[in-house]
Amino acid sequence: MARGVPAAVFFGLAALGPLVVRDAFLLDGLILILLWGATASAWNVAGGYAGQVSLGHAAFFGLGAYSAALLGTRWSLSPWIGLLVGVLLSTVAGLIIGYLSNRLRGPYFVLATIAFSQVLLIVASRWRGFTAGSEGIPVPFRPGFWTLGIADKRGWVYLVLALGVLLYLVQQYLERSRRGYQLAAVREDEDAALSLGVAARRLKVVAIAASAALTAVCGALWAQYVGFVDPFYVFSVDLSVRFALAAIIGGLGTALGPFLGSVLITTLETYLRAQFGGVGAGLIGIYLIIYGCALVLVVRFVPQGLVGWLGDRLRRHGLAGTAP
Amino acid sequence: MSFLSISGVTKRFGGVVANRDVSFEVAPGELVGVIGPNGAGKSTLFEIITGFYRPDEGEVRLEGTRLTGLSPDRVCRLGVARTFQKLRPFPAMTVLENVMVGALTRTRDVRHAREHAREILERVGLGDKAHAHGRTLSTGQRKRLELARALATRPRLLLLDEVTGGVDQGSIPGLVRLVRELHRDGLTVLVIEHNMRVITAVAQRIVALYLGEVIADGPPDVVARERRVVEAYLGQAYAQ
Amino acid sequence: MSAIPQLVVSTILLGGIYALIAVGLTLIFGVMRVVNFAHGEFVMLGMYLAFWAFALLALDPYLVLVVSLPVFFLAGFASYGLVMRPVIRESHNVQIFTTVGLSIALQNVALVLWTGDFRFVRPAYYSVVVRLGTTAFNVSQIVAFAVAVLFTAALFAFMRWSYAGKVMRATAQDRQAAALMGIDTDRVYGLTWAIGIVCVGAAGVLLAPLYPVYPTAGLQFVLIAYVVVVLGGLGDMAGALLGSLIVAAVEVIGSYVIGTAWKEVLYFLLFIAVLLVRPAGFFGQRGAEQLGA
Repeated sequence: MARGVPAAVFFGLAALGPLVVRDAFLLDGLILILLWGATASAWNVAGGYAGQVSLGHAAFFGLGAYSAALLGTRWSLSPWIGLLVGVLLSTVAGLIIGYLSNRLRGPYFVLATIAFSQVLLIVASRWRGFTAGSEGIPVPFRPGFWTLGIADKRGWVYLVLALGVLLYLVQQYLERSRRGYQLAAVREDEDAALSLGVAARRLKVVAIAASAALTAVCGALWAQYVGFVDPFYVFSVDLSVRFALAAIIGGLGTALGPFLGSVLITTLETYLRAQFGGVGAGLIGIYLIIYGCALVLVVRFVPQGLVGWLGDRLRRHGLAGTAP
Repeated sequence: MSFLSISGVTKRFGGVVANRDVSFEVAPGELVGVIGPNGAGKSTLFEIITGFYRPDEGEVRLEGTRLTGLSPDRVCRLGVARTFQKLRPFPAMTVLENVMVGALTRTRDVRHAREHAREILERVGLGDKAHAHGRTLSTGQRKRLELARALATRPRLLLLDEVTGGVDQGSIPGLVRLVRELHRDGLTVLVIEHNMRVITAVAQRIVALYLGEVIADGPPDVVARERRVVEAYLGQAYAQ
Repeated sequence: MSAIPQLVVSTILLGGIYALIAVGLTLIFGVMRVVNFAHGEFVMLGMYLAFWAFALLALDPYLVLVVSLPVFFLAGFASYGLVMRPVIRESHNVQIFTTVGLSIALQNVALVLWTGDFRFVRPAYYSVVVRLGTTAFNVSQIVAFAVAVLFTAALFAFMRWSYAGKVMRATAQDRQAAALMGIDTDRVYGLTWAIGIVCVGAAGVLLAPLYPVYPTAGLQFVLIAYVVVVLGGLGDMAGALLGSLIVAAVEVIGSYVIGTAWKEVLYFLLFIAVLLVRPAGFFGQRGAEQLGA
């Protein structure tokens, strides 16, 4: 089976969605699947391809969301400009985290990323004068593409679809390009990669900064779509874990994996929210219990994720050729 | 001018001196063996040449260019390749991809790298294993893979850490032949080896280290008879 | 500067409690090389245990403390066998995700069962304040501190003199050598994990009269414990004690000088700074390098 086929089917189906479905609830689900899939892909660039597991990526997501929302509400600037500012801030933050990754490994690095996102959470929730503090920021709806005020959900589907395809292509690049091979070598064994002339340190920093910038793009678009930025949500460790979870369930370091993971967890979440939303807010926790258990079970029983597992299945049945 | 020059290299770890004032030169096209009992400082010296460790004193130069202070990847791009004593193929990659990583240091084109990697795999006798995973190979084959990966970076100087260590007797002659061929084709080689029979057969010159210091430097038959070398080895044998 | 004695006393009292949370974390790390990201959830469970025993059975938290020890020991063994043992030889990343998953699951079990409401444990002596010279402090704080110190001392003694403690230290130093010596590392890990959980669960019970109880209550404490443990050197028990005092001092003095709203920023910045300057902690040397593998 040719490499791009599953992805073409996936994104093709997503593109057909708005033509077939008119139901706002289902379209909303599709938008969130693509958006969270894109965010998990952005995480995957650092966590999967570069092997630098971060549980602080919500920091970059939040920087994107806050930049877009704040520049819009305070200075009436276009969210696209806010997005650019968010990307710039996240790139700088990503360079710093990337620098840390060269000094800290394993659990130390994870702890540092958590601490980093917590610092931003505290700043965003306490700096009342600028960020509106813990109340969060409502994002005003101003119709038009330039202001990202898109009332029609179908418009949003195509916007986040474009984002998803972009992220997919970025990951594809990391699978087949020179940098991709080098990054994989760094992930597998940094010393061996160094001995073969791979500039490991620089490569890791670049990968993390790119991952941070892409995460910020997702955060900015998310803020415009949802219309409200809550510091305790966008900077939470839970959100960081969610990015990681989608990528792990789908398949770490695979281009389509984060999207498949997102289909599973976003569908589950949307379904349970709809089921229990009215009954009692506490029951919403059920999906998080399932997430937690899923995380424990997946890393133990299917560490290669859905994509790896399906790939093995297909290969065993002779449906797929061996890798080139 | 000598090809590789090591001058006055000293490296301490806490109170332990791993290398003490180590100096020797390697001429272009030479095949030099580095011997010494465990803990003599052979591997430390390799780590210093390749930029993984920074010496406390002294420096290493390749054709006049100072290697000391450069990062390992820069040292590699200047033409120094190495193998590791503890074999470390990239586990998630195929044999071919392993070698491609080395090849990609010299080309930006992935297809060229793939072709180059294939050629090298043929040369080291792993042509039929291109799509196997590193972990499925035997120790002897892994040594060849390490060698192939290093060669793919088109080195001028090759550092081999224990070519025959841990390899079954049957595979040793093939590996020795391979090293000889590479040397005959013009590569300068520095090799750490425990097996005295192998090293005296292969090397043109031997440098013996003991407790971090050079205790002998000369032709294999001379060094092998040197009193301090014999003592170093026998002394260790008795101690164990 | 009449505030100084009060600041010193507050620092010491707070530091004692942080120490109890941190020694469990550092013990597990030191022996098993696992950072337990679910550590805070066991604090939370301890707090809820105290709350329910108080609300339903009118049991005093300090009585519950005694009961909680075997309960958490069993909970520790169970969670080790179910969750940790299968991944004990896996990569760091697998272990990290496993404990993170455990953390999310436990947090939300609490949320679903007990809702997100803040709950309070208010025994009769809650508002009793002890004055000593110019300083004043809460009775619960003193008891928590005293028990924490006792507990930590007992753990130190256990590690130092008991056979099991020696075996644990041997395993911490070199798990392969320990296995070669005939030590059943699996049982050592189980025991280590269970003892770590007992420490942190007991800390939760002690904290219940002092802080509100809610499903994510553990997070604030565990974040502090990470800071403490990294300051003292991951796996270094004595370092954890000193780290606790340092973090408590930063918190107490920070609250006094710049207000409670920003004090957390202080110790997270301290945390990142320490990670950068001395990833192995102030006194540690072992750990950072080995972790890199």
